[in-house]
Amino acid sequence: MSQSIAVWPFINAAYGVTVAFLAAAGWLALARYRRAAARLAQAERL
Amino acid sequence: MRAPRTRRLYLVLVCLACLGGATALALAGFSSSLTYFLSPRQVAAKAPPLGQTFRLGGIVQEGTVKTQLSGQTPTTLFAVTDGRAAVPVRFSGVLPDLFREGQGVVAIGAMGPGGVFVADEVLAKHGADYMPRDVEQALKESGKWDPRFGPPPAADSWGGEKAKGAGT
Amino acid sequence: MKESVLPARRPARPGGWFHYLANPGRFQKLARPALPWLAAASLGFTVAGLAWGYWFAPADWQQGDAARIMYAHVPAAWVAMAGYAALALCSFVSLVWRHPLADIAAEEIGPVGAGFTGICLVSGALWGRPMWGAYWVWDARLTSVLILFFLYLGHITLIRAFDNKAHAYRAAAILALAGAVNLPVIVFSVQWWNTLHQGNSVSLAGSRIYPTMLYPLLVSALGFYLTFVTLVVARMSAAIAERKTAALLRAAAERAP
Repeated sequence: MSQSIAVWPFINAAYGVTVAFLAAAGWLALARYRRAAARLAQAERL
Repeated sequence: MRAPRTRRLYLVLVCLACLGGATALALAGFSSSLTYFLSPRQVAAKAPPLGQTFRLGGIVQEGTVKTQLSGQTPTTLFAVTDGRAAVPVRFSGVLPDLFREGQGVVAIGAMGPGGVFVADEVLAKHGADYMPRDVEQALKESGKWDPRFGPPPAADSWGGEKAKGAGT
Repeated sequence: MKESVLPARRPARPGGWFHYLANPGRFQKLARPALPWLAAASLGFTVAGLAWGYWFAPADWQQGDAARIMYAHVPAAWVAMAGYAALALCSFVSLVWRHPLADIAAEEIGPVGAGFTGICLVSGALWGRPMWGAYWVWDARLTSVLILFFLYLGHITLIRAFDNKAHAYRAAAILALAGAVNLPVIVFSVQWWNTLHQGNSVSLAGSRIYPTMLYPLLVSALGFYLTFVTLVVARMSAAIAERKTAALLRAAAERAP
């Protein structure tokens, strides 16, 4: 006798965590890359 | 210029070989404790003492599942087999979705009186084969796969089933 | 004539390409124009693979819709292991040849690889609860992946723990190389020991996944691999720029009293 549990909340949570991680990692890398490039350009003008 | 590099290369390679060997020996030595569950054959040969918790894994034997509903929680009786030996199991509680006859299962509990394994928890173990339901039906109808005799045939031999499966 | 004036523009030996590319300045020249393309390809394949798996792939015969977690879980697991293999390779190059770019790569791979390993563990737990009946079990596959996660965390900590960067790189490289013995254990754990985790569905011997479910998995995996490469290259490029900025500021401070 098995009792069904809803699977979609688990699927949505797994996809949600994955997409959130990918978006956050991409955003952080882009922000760091832009900041580093801007600071380097500033330092080269000195 | 080249000598220290070459020396470091051999040093690192020798260290890696030693570490790999040590790990292989350690894993081989601790193999029994790395095993997640015992099979019915192992239990039949040398059952752990009464009351000692261990995990029993195998296939739910066809035609052995009986459920009694006493009060709120259902009690299920079934046998776990590996094809050579079978161990009767009793479990009170809600079974996972995938639990059914012929399905892999891991039960956590201890041997009780009368040679019955009393499970506190039952986990479902599923196979590594993924396919849509219509393909499964087509494979079974064409006689290419009988779930009683093991996993489905290799995916690259399913070509002919595709058209048939799409039609059902 | 020209060849004698310009120092070797192109490597002569086959192994020379490696030394040619392993120079931070040349890395920057190649990486900066490539990054927008890498980012676009990563985004395209990842979104296509995940959307295909979430909305369009068929439900599985035994697991139903829950098998859709595969399209996030399996690529994350593959990238976590490939990332660690890359980390171990960089550590090897760092220990033997002392290439500065290998050290920068090792420092930047760590957090990205740990993130993918975390995704693999979390999505696996969310898959295990509805299918197996437990978020977590201590079987050999799950435990060895948890060890991989801790190896990444240890490497991240160790490589940032020393004031002397050369010492930090050497200590972290030794840790990463020693931890590489865990990789074959992860891959073969499901064959060597009884585990609750099922066997490998995709191996060199072939696939046990039906094509309509395998294709979205492969697209998603390509997207995850490209995302990993893009993230690491962008972070390495930023790290090189940060170092150059620091060197320029130090030089300016020494010039001006």
